[in-house]
Amino acid sequence: MPRKNAGNTLQDESARSAGGPPPLKSRKYKGVTERNRPLWLLAPGGLLITVIILIPLVLALYMSVIDLDQYTLRKWLTTPFIGIDNFVEAITKTDLLRSIWISVSFSVIATVVTVPLGVAAAVVTQNPYRGRAIVRAVFLIPYILPSFVVATVWRTMLQPDGIVNGVLNNVGIDPTLWLNGPMSYWTLVLVEIWAAWPFIYLLALAGLQSVDSEVHEAAAIDGALWWRKLREVVFPYLKGPVSLAFLLATLNHINNFTLPYVLFGAPAPADVNVLPILVYVTSFQSFRFGLSAAMAVVSLILIAIPLFIYLRAVKLDVSDDGGKK
Amino acid sequence: MSSHTLTHPANPARSKSRKSRNSEVTRLMPTWLIAVLTTLLCILVLVPIAYIFLASLNSDIGVARGEFWPSEFSLESYTKIWGSVGLGKGIINSLIVSGSVAVVSAIIAIGTAYVLVRFSFVGRLTMLRGLLGLQSIPGTLMLLPVFVLFASIGSWVGITIIGTLWGLFIAYLTFALPFSTWVMVTYLRGLPRELEEAARIDGASNLGILFRIIVPLSWPGIVVSGIFAFLLGWNDVLFASIFTKPDTATAAIVLQTFSASQEGGAIPVYSQMMAAALVCAAPVVILYFVFQRYLVGGLTAGGVK
Repeated sequence: MPRKNAGNTLQDESARSAGGPPPLKSRKYKGVTERNRPLWLLAPGGLLITVIILIPLVLALYMSVIDLDQYTLRKWLTTPFIGIDNFVEAITKTDLLRSIWISVSFSVIATVVTVPLGVAAAVVTQNPYRGRAIVRAVFLIPYILPSFVVATVWRTMLQPDGIVNGVLNNVGIDPTLWLNGPMSYWTLVLVEIWAAWPFIYLLALAGLQSVDSEVHEAAAIDGALWWRKLREVVFPYLKGPVSLAFLLATLNHINNFTLPYVLFGAPAPADVNVLPILVYVTSFQSFRFGLSAAMAVVSLILIAIPLFIYLRAVKLDVSDDGGKK
Repeated sequence: MSSHTLTHPANPARSKSRKSRNSEVTRLMPTWLIAVLTTLLCILVLVPIAYIFLASLNSDIGVARGEFWPSEFSLESYTKIWGSVGLGKGIINSLIVSGSVAVVSAIIAIGTAYVLVRFSFVGRLTMLRGLLGLQSIPGTLMLLPVFVLFASIGSWVGITIIGTLWGLFIAYLTFALPFSTWVMVTYLRGLPRELEEAARIDGASNLGILFRIIVPLSWPGIVVSGIFAFLLGWNDVLFASIFTKPDTATAAIVLQTFSASQEGGAIPVYSQMMAAALVCAAPVVILYFVFQRYLVGGLTAGGVK
């Protein structure tokens, strides 16, 4: 409550000084922000972003339409232009379509499972109790650990003679191969879930913070049962943050190279040959740079769909602040 | 607020009962369910974590046999890792590259973010959108052209980039820069403009405002954007696997050599691997818990791990 008040007064003040009564003053402010712009401050960042991001991006697009391999690597300026041949070859002669299917399905499954886990974690840590800080720190651990550490650890646990099979054996379940063969797909899904659910938890936590206490009181007066209150009062607040989290998490899963690479190595078993691994192997083990650039461009198009939705949804600006064009 | 604080010491019992009633109102679940779910989630997280610690204290053979509880505890693995694969060198390389990426991208980010947040110009929204979009570009898509450029520069100018830490530094900047800038943008947005406006009336220049007002006020943001840039470098395997040679390998790559070394049929060195994994994770975990207050908010700002 006090925080909210403070926020209001701040907003009032800024509203008064920005668009308030004295017209002369506001015009002067506006003149300053427009005339005296230190646009040169953009130069270092802009230059670096152009040189190290935009130029390589354009080059990646160019590479996808030339016949580039290890022999022509250093002469890429004179390498023959072959149009869409790389794309045709990628689709008809390689595992590209299968990899897209593996990547997309595994990412969606992982996200679908992590959402309830993350939301549950956010809900159970919402009310304060002794030791809540410790629980919250524990929940963050999988997220904090570097992917390569997580993958290394799970790889060790899932070895044929490893601890997981040992435990399963004791319970009477037959040990399986986790890092090879058909089970490897589910291994990837499980480890990804273990590593990624705190991301949803964090975004859901931020969403829960926006639930007004008046809403709780109203629900309490109504005598709503807890699950009805959750479903009808609290979850609507989470819809926005969680859909955003859903998009971002799926994007992150699709782009994740480290986890499958460290878990299974490259080249990966056929069942976990996700897109990043396929691109990596095609360029740095088969040395077909042009072909793999075409694959990378296809994966860019693939992630462009959720990315576009995300960019439309996210708030780029504080709407009442100056400078919106 | 103030009246409440005044009455508080007078009758603690009443205020306590009010507080508990309040928490009763905002309670989202029955206590037993909270306890069950919390326990399950903690088990999910802590069992693998406990395994890493126990395995790192076990012997290599013990871990390979599938023991959870070591038959004998020893710190031997923690001493072996420095000699067997050169983890120390890897950690130093990682610290150098990630540290310099963190410093450079944080410095550049604050200037860029300041202009983006406070001034209007054509293409501003496009730049903001671009900053966000660039973070989702697949690493593999960037790796190819950067590799080709580095290789070509090597043969055109005669400067070797691949295999040096410089190559990694530039590669990591491609991801750290948009990310740090976005983190700074979200931070600077929250700063009130009044101080800047007052300084401007007093005749301060743009640079003066940036260094005397923005920078001192946004230390938390700068720290967060620096830490995230550091983590990008520290956690990377993709670029490091191509751009390093044994001499310049980062910690992440050195850790992989444990699994490579067992492929020749040698005894797997799982215990050392777990010890090394913990050592690689330690700087990251320490950074998080030291700066936890700032980081948790920032985690969701960029939205990308």
